[in-house]
Amino acid sequence: MTKRNDISVPQGYFQNLEQRLSRIPQQEVRPTTFQKVSPWLAYAASLVVLASVGGFIFRKAAQPVQEEYSWDYLSYLSQSLDPDGWVELEESPELSDEDIINYLLADNNISLELLAEANYEENN
Amino acid sequence: MESLEQVFNGIVKDFSERLYWHVRRMVNSHEDADDLLQDIFLKIWTALPSFRGEAQLYTWVWRIATNETLNHLRKERVRAALRMQSVDAEMERRIEADPFFNGTAAQRELAKGLAKLPEKQRQVFVMRWWDELSYEEISAITGTSVGALKASYHIAQEKIKLNLSDLDVSK
Repeated sequence: MTKRNDISVPQGYFQNLEQRLSRIPQQEVRPTTFQKVSPWLAYAASLVVLASVGGFIFRKAAQPVQEEYSWDYLSYLSQSLDPDGWVELEESPELSDEDIINYLLADNNISLELLAEANYEENN
Repeated sequence: MESLEQVFNGIVKDFSERLYWHVRRMVNSHEDADDLLQDIFLKIWTALPSFRGEAQLYTWVWRIATNETLNHLRKERVRAALRMQSVDAEMERRIEADPFFNGTAAQRELAKGLAKLPEKQRQVFVMRWWDELSYEEISAITGTSVGALKASYHIAQEKIKLNLSDLDVSK
Protein backbone atom coordinates (compact mmCIF):
# COMPACT_ATOMS: atom_id res chain seq x y z
CA MET A 1 0.00 0.00 0.00
CA THR A 2 1.45 3.38 -0.96
CA LYS A 3 1.47 6.36 1.32
CA ARG A 4 -0.46 9.36 0.08
CA ASN A 5 -1.68 12.34 1.97
CA ASP A 6 -5.21 11.38 2.77
CA ILE A 7 -6.00 14.07 5.31
CA SER A 8 -5.89 17.82 5.00
CA VAL A 9 -6.30 20.91 7.14
CA PRO A 10 -8.25 24.16 6.64
CA GLN A 11 -6.48 26.64 4.38
CA GLY A 12 -3.83 28.71 6.16
CA TYR A 13 -4.10 26.56 9.26
CA PHE A 14 -0.38 26.09 9.91
CA GLN A 15 0.47 29.80 9.68
CA ASN A 16 -2.32 30.53 12.10
CA LEU A 17 -1.26 27.65 14.35
CA GLU A 18 2.30 28.91 14.60
CA GLN A 19 1.06 32.38 15.55
CA ARG A 20 -1.31 31.03 18.19
CA LEU A 21 1.31 28.74 19.73
CA SER A 22 3.88 31.53 19.79
CA ARG A 23 1.52 33.57 21.98
CA ILE A 24 1.55 30.94 24.74
CA PRO A 25 4.46 32.57 26.68
CA GLN A 26 2.58 35.88 26.89
CA GLN A 27 -0.70 34.24 27.89
CA GLU A 28 0.66 31.77 30.35
CA VAL A 29 1.74 33.14 33.72
CA ARG A 30 4.41 30.94 35.19
CA PRO A 31 3.53 29.56 38.62
CA THR A 32 5.25 31.28 41.54
CA THR A 33 7.45 29.30 43.93
CA PHE A 34 4.59 29.34 46.47
CA GLN A 35 2.16 27.96 43.87
CA LYS A 36 4.66 25.25 43.02
CA VAL A 37 5.12 24.16 46.64
CA SER A 38 1.52 24.73 47.79
CA PRO A 39 0.37 21.17 46.89
CA TRP A 40 3.21 19.86 49.05
CA LEU A 41 2.31 22.26 51.86
CA ALA A 42 -1.29 21.04 51.74
CA TYR A 43 -0.03 17.46 51.83
CA ALA A 44 2.22 18.19 54.82
CA ALA A 45 -0.60 20.00 56.65
CA SER A 46 -2.98 17.08 56.16
CA LEU A 47 -0.30 14.72 57.51
CA VAL A 48 0.05 16.88 60.64
CA VAL A 49 -3.74 16.89 61.16
CA LEU A 50 -3.90 13.12 60.66
CA ALA A 51 -1.03 12.55 63.09
CA SER A 52 -2.66 14.81 65.72
CA VAL A 53 -6.08 13.18 65.45
CA GLY A 54 -4.54 9.71 65.34
CA GLY A 55 -2.38 10.48 68.39
CA PHE A 56 -5.37 11.82 70.32
CA ILE A 57 -7.46 8.73 69.52
CA PHE A 58 -4.56 6.46 70.41
CA ARG A 59 -3.99 8.19 73.76
CA LYS A 60 -7.69 8.00 74.59
CA ALA A 61 -7.80 4.32 73.72
CA ALA A 62 -4.72 3.61 75.80
CA GLN A 63 -6.10 5.30 78.96
CA PRO A 64 -7.16 2.93 81.76
CA VAL A 65 -10.93 2.50 81.90
CA GLN A 66 -11.25 3.42 85.58
CA GLU A 67 -9.67 6.78 84.93
CA GLU A 68 -12.46 7.64 82.56
CA TYR A 69 -15.04 6.89 85.21
CA SER A 70 -13.19 8.36 88.17
CA TRP A 71 -15.17 10.37 90.65
CA ASP A 72 -13.73 13.65 89.43
CA TYR A 73 -14.62 12.76 85.90
CA LEU A 74 -18.23 11.93 86.82
CA SER A 75 -18.52 15.17 88.78
CA TYR A 76 -17.17 17.06 85.86
CA LEU A 77 -19.54 15.26 83.52
CA SER A 78 -22.61 15.96 85.65
CA GLN A 79 -21.62 19.61 85.81
CA SER A 80 -21.22 19.73 82.09
CA LEU A 81 -24.58 18.10 81.51
CA ASP A 82 -26.33 20.47 83.88
CA PRO A 83 -24.35 23.68 83.77
CA ASP A 84 -27.00 25.68 85.65
CA GLY A 85 -27.04 23.53 88.72
CA TRP A 86 -24.09 21.93 90.41
CA VAL A 87 -24.89 18.31 91.03
CA GLU A 88 -23.05 17.10 94.04
CA LEU A 89 -22.05 13.52 93.68
CA GLU A 90 -21.39 11.87 96.98
CA GLU A 91 -19.55 8.67 97.45
CA SER A 92 -21.79 5.99 98.89
CA PRO A 93 -21.10 5.34 102.57
CA GLU A 94 -19.54 1.99 103.16
CA LEU A 95 -22.03 -0.83 103.52
CA SER A 96 -22.42 -2.24 107.01
CA ASP A 97 -23.01 -5.90 107.77
CA GLU A 98 -26.53 -5.03 108.77
CA ASP A 99 -27.20 -3.50 105.35
CA ILE A 100 -26.00 -6.65 103.67
CA ILE A 101 -28.13 -8.88 105.88
CA ASN A 102 -31.21 -6.74 105.25
CA TYR A 103 -30.56 -6.90 101.52
CA LEU A 104 -30.16 -10.66 101.51
CA LEU A 105 -33.28 -11.19 103.59
CA ALA A 106 -35.39 -8.82 101.52
CA ASP A 107 -34.41 -9.74 98.00
CA ASN A 108 -32.83 -13.11 97.91
CA ASN A 109 -35.15 -15.34 99.80
CA ILE A 110 -32.46 -16.44 102.23
CA SER A 111 -33.71 -17.71 105.58
CA LEU A 112 -32.61 -16.39 108.97
CA GLU A 113 -31.40 -19.85 109.90
CA LEU A 114 -29.05 -19.96 106.97
CA LEU A 115 -27.67 -16.54 107.77
CA ALA A 116 -27.19 -17.45 111.39
CA GLU A 117 -25.34 -20.58 110.34
CA ALA A 118 -23.09 -18.59 107.98
CA ASN A 119 -22.45 -16.00 110.68
CA TYR A 120 -21.58 -18.72 113.15
CA GLU A 121 -19.08 -20.33 110.77
CA GLU A 122 -17.46 -16.99 110.01
CA ASN A 123 -16.98 -16.12 113.68
CA ASN A 124 -15.58 -19.53 114.72
CA MET B 1 22.25 33.61 24.79
CA GLU B 2 18.71 32.84 23.69
CA SER B 3 15.83 33.63 26.04
CA LEU B 4 13.32 30.89 26.95
CA GLU B 5 10.76 32.56 24.74
CA GLN B 6 13.12 32.48 21.77
CA VAL B 7 13.86 28.80 22.39
CA PHE B 8 10.13 28.13 22.64
CA ASN B 9 9.39 29.97 19.40
CA GLY B 10 12.10 27.91 17.72
CA ILE B 11 10.40 24.73 18.94
CA VAL B 12 7.04 25.97 17.61
CA LYS B 13 8.60 26.72 14.23
CA ASP B 14 10.44 23.40 13.97
CA PHE B 15 7.92 21.02 15.47
CA SER B 16 4.34 22.32 15.32
CA GLU B 17 3.43 21.01 11.86
CA ARG B 18 5.12 17.66 12.30
CA LEU B 19 3.55 17.10 15.71
CA TYR B 20 0.16 18.13 14.35
CA TRP B 21 0.24 15.31 11.80
CA HIS B 22 1.30 12.81 14.46
CA VAL B 23 -1.49 13.88 16.83
CA ARG B 24 -4.05 14.04 14.03
CA ARG B 25 -3.29 10.41 13.02
CA MET B 26 -3.66 9.37 16.64
CA VAL B 27 -6.95 11.15 17.47
CA ASN B 28 -8.62 11.15 14.02
CA SER B 29 -10.10 14.61 14.36
CA HIS B 30 -8.78 18.00 13.28
CA GLU B 31 -10.48 19.84 16.19
CA ASP B 32 -9.17 17.41 18.81
CA ALA B 33 -5.69 17.52 17.29
CA ASP B 34 -5.74 21.32 17.39
CA ASP B 35 -6.82 21.38 21.07
CA LEU B 36 -4.30 18.72 22.01
CA LEU B 37 -1.50 20.57 20.26
CA GLN B 38 -2.24 23.66 22.38
CA ASP B 39 -1.97 21.50 25.52
CA ILE B 40 1.27 19.93 24.28
CA PHE B 41 2.94 23.28 23.60
CA LEU B 42 1.68 24.68 26.89
CA LYS B 43 3.32 21.73 28.60
CA ILE B 44 6.52 22.29 26.63
CA TRP B 45 6.55 25.97 27.67
CA THR B 46 5.90 25.10 31.34
CA ALA B 47 8.58 22.40 31.38
CA LEU B 48 11.15 24.32 29.33
CA PRO B 49 13.01 25.81 32.34
CA SER B 50 13.58 22.28 33.67
CA PHE B 51 14.99 21.03 30.36
CA ARG B 52 18.57 20.20 31.28
CA GLY B 53 19.79 19.10 27.90
CA GLU B 54 20.55 15.52 28.95
CA ALA B 55 18.21 14.38 26.20
CA GLN B 56 18.22 15.96 22.76
CA LEU B 57 15.65 18.73 22.40
CA TYR B 58 14.12 16.73 19.55
CA THR B 59 13.62 13.64 21.75
CA TRP B 60 12.37 15.72 24.70
CA VAL B 61 9.73 17.53 22.60
CA TRP B 62 8.53 14.32 20.97
CA ARG B 63 8.37 12.58 24.36
CA ILE B 64 6.08 15.28 25.76
CA ALA B 65 3.88 15.13 22.65
CA THR B 66 3.53 11.35 22.63
CA ASN B 67 2.88 11.14 26.37
CA GLU B 68 0.22 13.84 26.22
CA THR B 69 -1.41 12.11 23.26
CA LEU B 70 -1.49 8.75 25.03
CA ASN B 71 -2.94 10.40 28.16
CA HIS B 72 -5.61 12.06 26.03
CA LEU B 73 -6.56 8.73 24.42
CA ARG B 74 -6.68 6.97 27.79
CA LYS B 75 -8.96 9.68 29.16
CA GLU B 76 -11.19 9.31 26.11
CA ARG B 77 -11.37 5.57 26.70
CA VAL B 78 -12.35 6.09 30.35
CA ARG B 79 -14.94 8.73 29.44
CA ALA B 80 -16.43 6.41 26.81
CA ALA B 81 -16.53 3.52 29.31
CA LEU B 82 -18.35 5.72 31.83
CA ARG B 83 -20.95 6.53 29.17
CA MET B 84 -21.13 2.81 28.32
CA GLN B 85 -19.89 3.61 24.81
CA SER B 86 -17.16 2.10 22.67
CA VAL B 87 -14.23 4.35 21.86
CA ASP B 88 -13.53 2.24 18.74
CA ALA B 89 -17.01 3.03 17.39
CA GLU B 90 -16.46 6.72 18.14
CA MET B 91 -13.14 6.66 16.24
CA GLU B 92 -14.80 4.98 13.28
CA ARG B 93 -17.55 7.60 13.33
CA ARG B 94 -14.94 10.37 13.35
CA ILE B 95 -13.10 8.90 10.36
CA GLU B 96 -16.35 8.56 8.42
CA ALA B 97 -17.45 12.10 9.25
CA ASP B 98 -14.07 13.84 8.91
CA PRO B 99 -14.57 16.76 6.48
CA PHE B 100 -10.79 16.97 5.94
CA PHE B 101 -10.42 13.35 4.84
CA ASN B 102 -9.78 13.22 1.12
CA GLY B 103 -8.23 9.81 0.68
CA THR B 104 -9.41 6.67 -1.08
CA ALA B 105 -11.70 4.03 0.36
CA ALA B 106 -8.64 1.91 1.12
CA GLN B 107 -6.99 4.74 3.03
CA ARG B 108 -10.15 5.21 5.03
CA GLU B 109 -10.05 1.52 5.91
CA LEU B 110 -6.39 1.85 6.85
CA ALA B 111 -7.30 4.70 9.21
CA LYS B 112 -10.09 2.60 10.71
CA GLY B 113 -7.78 -0.38 11.14
CA LEU B 114 -5.22 1.86 12.77
CA ALA B 115 -7.82 3.26 15.17
CA LYS B 116 -8.65 -0.26 16.35
CA LEU B 117 -5.08 -0.95 17.50
CA PRO B 118 -4.14 -0.61 21.16
CA GLU B 119 -2.82 2.93 21.81
CA LYS B 120 0.86 2.02 22.11
CA GLN B 121 0.83 -0.19 19.02
CA ARG B 122 -0.92 2.57 17.13
CA GLN B 123 1.68 5.03 18.33
CA VAL B 124 4.58 2.88 17.10
CA PHE B 125 2.89 2.34 13.75
CA VAL B 126 2.16 6.06 13.25
CA MET B 127 5.70 7.05 14.24
CA ARG B 128 7.28 4.49 11.93
CA TRP B 129 4.90 4.51 8.94
CA TRP B 130 3.58 8.08 8.83
CA ASP B 131 6.15 10.12 10.78
CA GLU B 132 9.01 8.07 9.25
CA LEU B 133 11.05 8.02 12.44
CA SER B 134 13.77 5.40 12.77
CA TYR B 135 13.45 2.65 15.38
CA GLU B 136 16.37 4.24 17.23
CA GLU B 137 14.55 7.58 17.37
CA ILE B 138 11.30 5.94 18.51
CA SER B 139 13.26 3.99 21.12
CA ALA B 140 14.80 7.20 22.52
CA ILE B 141 11.38 8.88 22.64
CA THR B 142 9.35 6.03 24.12
CA GLY B 143 12.04 4.38 26.25
CA THR B 144 11.19 1.02 24.63
CA SER B 145 13.88 -1.26 23.20
CA VAL B 146 14.34 -1.43 19.42
CA GLY B 147 13.50 -5.15 19.46
CA ALA B 148 10.20 -4.59 21.26
CA LEU B 149 9.34 -1.77 18.85
CA LYS B 150 10.04 -3.95 15.81
CA ALA B 151 7.82 -6.68 17.24
CA SER B 152 5.09 -4.18 18.03
CA TYR B 153 5.26 -2.65 14.54
CA HIS B 154 5.14 -6.08 12.93
CA ILE B 155 2.04 -7.07 14.94
CA ALA B 156 0.36 -3.76 14.11
CA GLN B 157 1.15 -4.21 10.43
CA GLU B 158 -0.29 -7.73 10.42
CA LYS B 159 -3.50 -6.59 12.11
CA ILE B 160 -3.94 -3.76 9.61
CA LYS B 161 -3.26 -6.10 6.67
CA LEU B 162 -5.87 -8.48 8.00
CA ASN B 163 -8.31 -5.58 8.25
CA LEU B 164 -7.60 -4.59 4.64
CA SER B 165 -7.54 -8.10 3.17
CA ASP B 166 -11.31 -8.16 2.67
CA LEU B 167 -11.01 -5.12 0.44
CA ASP B 168 -7.95 -6.52 -1.39
CA VAL B 169 -6.16 -3.18 -1.12
CA SER B 170 -3.26 -4.21 1.09
CA LYS B 171 -0.74 -4.12 -1.72
